[in-house]
Amino acid sequence: MAAPCRRVVSRPVIQFLSSFSRTAVGKTGFRQFSSSSACRVTLQTQDVMERATSPYSLVAAVCLQRLPVISADYKPIEQQFRDMMLQMELEKSVLSDHELRLLEDAERLRRKLADDYDSDEEGSHDDQEIVLAQDLEDSWEQKLKTFQPAPRVRDDLDKNLNSVERCLADSLVLLAEQQVGGEKIWLLPQTQWQEGETLRQTAERALASLPAAGFKATFLGNAPCGVYKYKLPKAARTENSVGTKVFFFKAILSDSSPSTAPNKSIMWLKKSELERYLKPAYFMKVNRFILNL
Amino acid sequence: MNPVLRKLQASLIQQPLFLNQAVSLCRATLLMEHLTWGTAAITTRQYKSMPTHGIGKWKHFLPKEVAKKKKDKHQMKQIVAATNTAYGTLNVKVSGYDMTVVEHYSQYIHNLCNRFGIKVSESYALPTKSTEVMLMPEQGTKMYVDAVLKTHERIVQLSSLNASLSPVFIDILLKNQPEGVQLSVKEHTEADYHARFKARPELEGLMAQMNQKDM
Repeated sequence: MAAPCRRVVSRPVIQFLSSFSRTAVGKTGFRQFSSSSACRVTLQTQDVMERATSPYSLVAAVCLQRLPVISADYKPIEQQFRDMMLQMELEKSVLSDHELRLLEDAERLRRKLADDYDSDEEGSHDDQEIVLAQDLEDSWEQKLKTFQPAPRVRDDLDKNLNSVERCLADSLVLLAEQQVGGEKIWLLPQTQWQEGETLRQTAERALASLPAAGFKATFLGNAPCGVYKYKLPKAARTENSVGTKVFFFKAILSDSSPSTAPNKSIMWLKKSELERYLKPAYFMKVNRFILNL
Repeated sequence: MNPVLRKLQASLIQQPLFLNQAVSLCRATLLMEHLTWGTAAITTRQYKSMPTHGIGKWKHFLPKEVAKKKKDKHQMKQIVAATNTAYGTLNVKVSGYDMTVVEHYSQYIHNLCNRFGIKVSESYALPTKSTEVMLMPEQGTKMYVDAVLKTHERIVQLSSLNASLSPVFIDILLKNQPEGVQLSVKEHTEADYHARFKARPELEGLMAQMNQKDM
């Protein structure tokens, strides 16, 4: 691509050097210009052919994310603000139907227990005397006591990097240990692109070909969210393969069968833990598109 | 000013020959005066300060008549078709039991679209659906009403979404989704539009009768 630029640069130089013989310069200039355009055309056709035989091999990877299952814990300042807002809303609010009923029942009970009680003076209230609002509240309290919520944080599960159910309050990214160029490294699951399929299909294939299958994922779109390009070491470079371009696609885990035993070859990591396991240059590119909200 | 000029012209006609130059000079000076008097006249029109200014006006006494707007039938906005690079009209539906959270989330989505430059064609609410939770007690057979849950729905309608922006957009929506709120993104159809309106059974019955009679 630098070739036409060089020619364009050289043209004014020649013009400056031989400015007297304008016709000659003009001819050479024109010839050069035309030739450069012709060269540009040929370069374009070469590009079209080169695209089919680009020295970079294409690879598609999938960034599978598990969204948080429970709400994150409040930071101290968030907790303080929340308490203050709840208190303010409670003070400004109006009594609800249930609370009004409680007050009425309490009032009626107080009047009943007083000495000068005349039941004929009361208005007709058929079913209000049967079930008091306080009784309802007591029964609800009882039901609440019988409900046992699951613990929010389970330390043993959190430490296990392979299980999907760790760190329920954060979003996790799937990392797989794959063989790349002779060594096993941790990276986002990827496979080579084949002729005739779209890159997104390649990414789906990458996900399906993982040894720990059973991931139902929803891909977020046909457009990749990131690119990583690397060149092979000089020894391994040939004419046809200078390096690899990896295109990343985002997907959201919709339903994973927890019955599959956690596999040692995959890891679910938070964004802050990714740096430890990924190569530095790779991590810099991947870090850009993983949101940690 | 005009009568002055007219008088001058009359004098010109009467004394054409020898007073030409003087007349032209006078004309020039008068013209200049006219000019200055004209400019002065623009700023200080003397009749507006007269106490009888506007004495004959009567239209401002009549009550203001608002033009009666004929209510047209509400037209459906054109559904944008999907192209190779962009989605068409999309409905982002937010639903949940807690109205404040649902509304705040839908407002957040609307503001996010404004910031991203995604055109929002409409933003409306569907009617609230009430669900009665009925429990069967252990002893008896009659079910009793335990609670009434109201489901609120808000829809943000996007006119077109770029395919390259869509993964980023949906990822942000999912990461910021609050608890207890369901999010769904679907394409807008005519049936969705007509579902917003109440059915008029009498009108439909009459139309059916009319069609039958025609047939």
